[in-house]
Amino acid sequence: MDEISAIVSDTARRLLRGLAEAAGTWEDMPESAWTAGWQAIEDSGLLLALLPDGDGGLGLPLSEGLGLVRIAGSHHGPWPVVDTMLARRFAAENGQDVAAGPAAGGPSEMAPHQRDIAALARACQMAGALEAVLEMTTAYVGERHQFGRPLARFQAIQHSLAVLAGEVAAACAAADFACQRIAAEGHDPILAIGIARARIGEAVSRGTAIAHQLHGAIGYVREHRLHRYTTAMWRWRDEFGTQAWWTRRVGMAVIAEGSDGFWSSTVAA
Amino acid sequence: MKTLEFPAPPPRAGDEDLRREVRNFLESRLEGRSPLQRAESWNGFDRQFSRELGQRGWLGMTWPRKYGGHERTAFERYVVMEETLAAGAPVAAHWIADRQSGPTILRYGTEAQKEAILPKIAAGECTFCIGMSEPDAGSDLAATRTRAERQADGSWRVNGTKLWTTYAHEAHYMILFCRTSGSPADRHKGTSQMLVDMRATPGVTVNPVLDLMGQHHFNEVHFEDAILPAGSLLGTEGEGWAQVMGELAFERSGPERFLSSIQLLIELIGALQGAGGEGGRNAVGRLFAHLVTLRHMSRGVAALLERGDDASVHAAIVKDLGATFEQELPDIARSLIDEEPDLASTSHFASVLAYTTMAAPAFSLRGGTREILRGIIARQLGVR
Ligand SMILES: Cc1cc2nc3c(=O)[nH]c(=O)nc-3n(C[C@H](O)[C@H](O)[C@H](O)COP(=O)(O)OP(=O)(O)OC[C@H]3O[C@@H](n4cnc5c(N)ncnc54)[C@H](O)[C@@H]3O)c2cc1C
Repeated sequence: MDEISAIVSDTARRLLRGLAEAAGTWEDMPESAWTAGWQAIEDSGLLLALLPDGDGGLGLPLSEGLGLVRIAGSHHGPWPVVDTMLARRFAAENGQDVAAGPAAGGPSEMAPHQRDIAALARACQMAGALEAVLEMTTAYVGERHQFGRPLARFQAIQHSLAVLAGEVAAACAAADFACQRIAAEGHDPILAIGIARARIGEAVSRGTAIAHQLHGAIGYVREHRLHRYTTAMWRWRDEFGTQAWWTRRVGMAVIAEGSDGFWSSTVAA
Repeated sequence: MKTLEFPAPPPRAGDEDLRREVRNFLESRLEGRSPLQRAESWNGFDRQFSRELGQRGWLGMTWPRKYGGHERTAFERYVVMEETLAAGAPVAAHWIADRQSGPTILRYGTEAQKEAILPKIAAGECTFCIGMSEPDAGSDLAATRTRAERQADGSWRVNGTKLWTTYAHEAHYMILFCRTSGSPADRHKGTSQMLVDMRATPGVTVNPVLDLMGQHHFNEVHFEDAILPAGSLLGTEGEGWAQVMGELAFERSGPERFLSSIQLLIELIGALQGAGGEGGRNAVGRLFAHLVTLRHMSRGVAALLERGDDASVHAAIVKDLGATFEQELPDIARSLIDEEPDLASTSHFASVLAYTTMAAPAFSLRGGTREILRGIIARQLGVR
């Protein structure tokens, strides 16, 4: 990452973190607050980050634009940030006007390669959201006391948290892998996206289960932020191709190479 | 963020020529090696094979030339490691030495120790064993009781017992972790590492311990007033704990922690040709996604090693995920293919399934148990 994109991502992180933390209970948010938040996001230029060069975007390579998508996943608020980023990219690609305003409901009418990019964006969002869930869960088990000590002092809790951390590390690595592969020559980008979706989808299942378990009942209430991430990931993992569909697609490609081609496929992936 | 970032490895390390060379060599050298033999993975022992790798410059690859090394990158070394594992090559005669003993000697050894031993490892002529575990010091390595006492003439007198010592019966040397002062109650204080010549030290006895397959890989090693010459100390007296943690980081860092069951995956893909349906595709897609992600993370560990950074927590994560992945494999294979596991079967799938099922329990024990690794990860998260 060069200096400019480091500044862009720091700025985006600060903005989105502040907005997400201030959002409170989404359902109770005054409309004026929602609109002010959206305007701040719009003003930051973030929503144009996935635009192809020369279309009024930030001039970021796609892999770095997807880095911002991951940040949006980490600081998930009630605004359709990523869906609008995608809709604007696809509109520009299709030679349409880049519509102002939020693209609630996500991009419509995608060409197959656009659907693949949207699927990868979901993978990056999930990686970012899992990072946030790890952070929240680690903090919570340090604060919450039972039996006269912080939960974090119980080995069972420490080990669950370690498993969560492993899943999050794997999800982030899988997202990085796919973002790297779509930019590199000599690899099949679709296979890489499928790998990321299959691996991250599984990390979501295991990771969200642990996060809810360690939060106890408080994590199950509407006012708590945890479910903003977990319920979002339970949708994202099956959007733009379900996890099962992506997984089978990878499996089909691998089985087609046969046992002799298996290792070569692994190295070439 | 609490996430442990794995640095991005280069997508291609300019390694295609090396990879092709290694593959060509392995293809002809291992012709006729059965899938069951390949499934032994890094347990397979063949001294001549290790020598041939050494002759090709594929051992001690990253070490300085003056110690017989080849000053190549961690990524080039990674290519050789993963290609030999994927091919099921018999690497045990050099694996431990190349992976951890050599790097430990390079880091802590005296000039004399480096000159005497490293070129032999790089030539594939020198087998090492790991003298850490004891009957009463497994996960709790600091409880080690084996003791080395310095004699008036500078030599060391060693008494104690090491256990589970893989290939001690074939090894030229052991790196021994032991106590040089104090008592087990002092924990990691007062511990040191020693170089033990396994062939020329009176008072050292090696007794086989057969594993559940009846195979002889590990051993019990007794030291009874064994005398190690002056100059056997490796590194600094009393610094054994820090040194052995460094050695364990090397031990846990490689692709063998998720590639040792790859033969079963290969046989499964073969058995699924024209069969398996949606369930097979789903299972293989999932396993492949795990494998490729693990490889990406593991090459990230190589990137850390290449930069000279501490990779111990990253390595613990890859090893823990890798062991879980490998231990799931036999049951997934069983759920897809209707064949009884049988070591003696002429079906490659059946024999490799039987072998891997029996090998699997060790994956989350050897090199640090699952629980110990999770403790290391939890400490990194600040909750321990
Ligand atoms: C195939 C194989 C090869 C090996 N080769 C070598 C070798 O070459 N050299 C060598 O030195 N050693 C070797 N080992 C030994 C290996 O390092 C030990 O098995 C390992 O460190 C665990 O020690 P242990 O077997 O005594 O089990 P224990 O430490 O007794 O553990 C038993 C169980 O209790 C758990 N446990 C222990 N302490 C805790 C704790 N604090 N919290 C939670 N759970 C805990 C463990 O995780 C494990 O599940 C080998 C082992 C195997 C299986």
